[in-house]
Amino acid sequence: MTKLTVISGGLRQPSSTRLLADRITEAVEAELAKFNITASSSTIELRPLGRAIIDAMLIGFANAELESAFETVANADGLIAVTPAFNVSYSGLFKSFFDVLPQETLSDMPVLIAATGGTERHSLVLEHALRPMFSYLHAIVAPTGVYAATNDFGAQDGSVGLTERISKAANDFARLLHACGTRTRRDVFTEDLAEMERLLAAAPRPGEDGTVED
Amino acid sequence: MSGMQFGIFTVGDVTPDPLTGVAPSEAERIRAMVAIAKKAEEVGLDVFATGEHHNPPFVPSSPTTLLGYIAAQTERLILSTSTTLITTNDPVKIAEDFSMLQHLAAGRVDLMLGRGNTGPVYPWFGQDIRAAIPLTVEHYGLLRRLWREKVVDWSGQYRTPLQGFTLAPQPLDGVPPFVWHGSIRTPEVAEIAAYYGDGFFANHIFWPPSHTRRMVRLYRERFEHYGHGSGDQAIVGLGGHVFMRPNSQDAVAEFRPYFDNAPVYGHGPSLEDFAAQTPLTVGSPQQVIDRTLGFRDYAGDYQRQFFLVDHAGLPLKTVLDQLDLLGEQVIPVLRKEFQVGRPKHVPDAPTHESLVRAKTADAKPSGIQPTVQEQQS
Repeated sequence: MTKLTVISGGLRQPSSTRLLADRITEAVEAELAKFNITASSSTIELRPLGRAIIDAMLIGFANAELESAFETVANADGLIAVTPAFNVSYSGLFKSFFDVLPQETLSDMPVLIAATGGTERHSLVLEHALRPMFSYLHAIVAPTGVYAATNDFGAQDGSVGLTERISKAANDFARLLHACGTRTRRDVFTEDLAEMERLLAAAPRPGEDGTVED
Repeated sequence: MSGMQFGIFTVGDVTPDPLTGVAPSEAERIRAMVAIAKKAEEVGLDVFATGEHHNPPFVPSSPTTLLGYIAAQTERLILSTSTTLITTNDPVKIAEDFSMLQHLAAGRVDLMLGRGNTGPVYPWFGQDIRAAIPLTVEHYGLLRRLWREKVVDWSGQYRTPLQGFTLAPQPLDGVPPFVWHGSIRTPEVAEIAAYYGDGFFANHIFWPPSHTRRMVRLYRERFEHYGHGSGDQAIVGLGGHVFMRPNSQDAVAEFRPYFDNAPVYGHGPSLEDFAAQTPLTVGSPQQVIDRTLGFRDYAGDYQRQFFLVDHAGLPLKTVLDQLDLLGEQVIPVLRKEFQVGRPKHVPDAPTHESLVRAKTADAKPSGIQPTVQEQQS
């Protein structure tokens, strides 16, 4: 069983970002089935978490609802992250979610990046914004992302093209997930503790120099 | 004083009162901190602790100067810190300052060590925040030796070496001040406290209790692991964050503008959400009593309870009112109730007198300071 977590940064209802996220998720599940891998997916919409995300940024901790979203991400074997393109980048809300996500949550996690936008002109947002951010977060970013412009949902030619692009990205991502297997979640708390234990063991203990306490 | 200690800890912030827009001057804030400490003794609290900061809008850059001045005007109050920066202070100066303060205050002194998380303070004092953890380990290792060995030869990575250094004055009665290690959610701090059998103070406030539960559990487990006693004999302190009026609706109405504009959490969640998610209690003295007694459910029987009462621009008079309510209505009940069901083998909060007694009774006081043999067995 492969656990997929899907992040949708769409703001409106219905949302083309969510629509793209759903289509990619279905395609990835279908591709995984070819490896005899069953997949379960959990989708996190960022809009209802908007206030909690900003609160977490201001006060340093997440409320229960956001904490639960963090857990869903942390426990995934792979992440599908979809944002609308705003001002030549990901949306501020999408970025903010990853800004408050605990460090190393995405470490070694396969990630499929995708974005929606008004026109095809913004498609490089995948390469100049999403990919570097997820690389920085130590994720394993799938080589093929998906960008969908408004036209992709309308014109017949475009819609065929989008389906093909989704299939290609899903196939690449499924092979990546298959190769990576079940993900072991990093435990920074325990890692820090082990490092501290090592440091303390190396520290000179009081009285060891033969000097006398009086 | 037996059982638990109750006190207040102050950040020492200079914050405008949101109702007037006027901030106290640094002089007014420093004098207010002294007045608050004296009031704490007057109403029967046990401890006053000051933060240490090296940048505006905070005033307490020199805690032992402040505490020495307060020591001269009090009789009973224990003077402490929250926290003393073990990373950016020279451990030799910490040893000297607190040794001196011990003598002046006749032993009414302990301290809480912390790393400090203000980036620029590290380079201002010639250190690097990225080395905060190894710096803490090295500095504290040296501090312990300075307080326990007559002549110290030492070399390390982060400070110039010492050859033939003898601390003056020596700790009062040959007993160093008790050391607490303060943390919000850093496991390394619980580990160092457990390793040495020192006290562990969970800041507790501004964060969900789940962090505190996890950190205190870790500290207790590691305390036992290092052979200082059973986990429930470890020395635990907790922060608390309260605003009270006899009528709880009055407390909420009066505190809300201070909450909404507070530097740490202002303009974030509502007072109600924050109070539900963190130990903040805004209400009647009885509500504070009930909430505080509940801390024991996840921290176990513990030794020290601090409250934050003077921050976010609250006027001095209001803070003094809070201390009256704490002293008259809250602390006496907490003292009594926390003793109910408290096992006999759970130690009282350490004091200079108890440390001297332990030293006299046994050259190797158990539960306070491990011997090398105990650690290696």
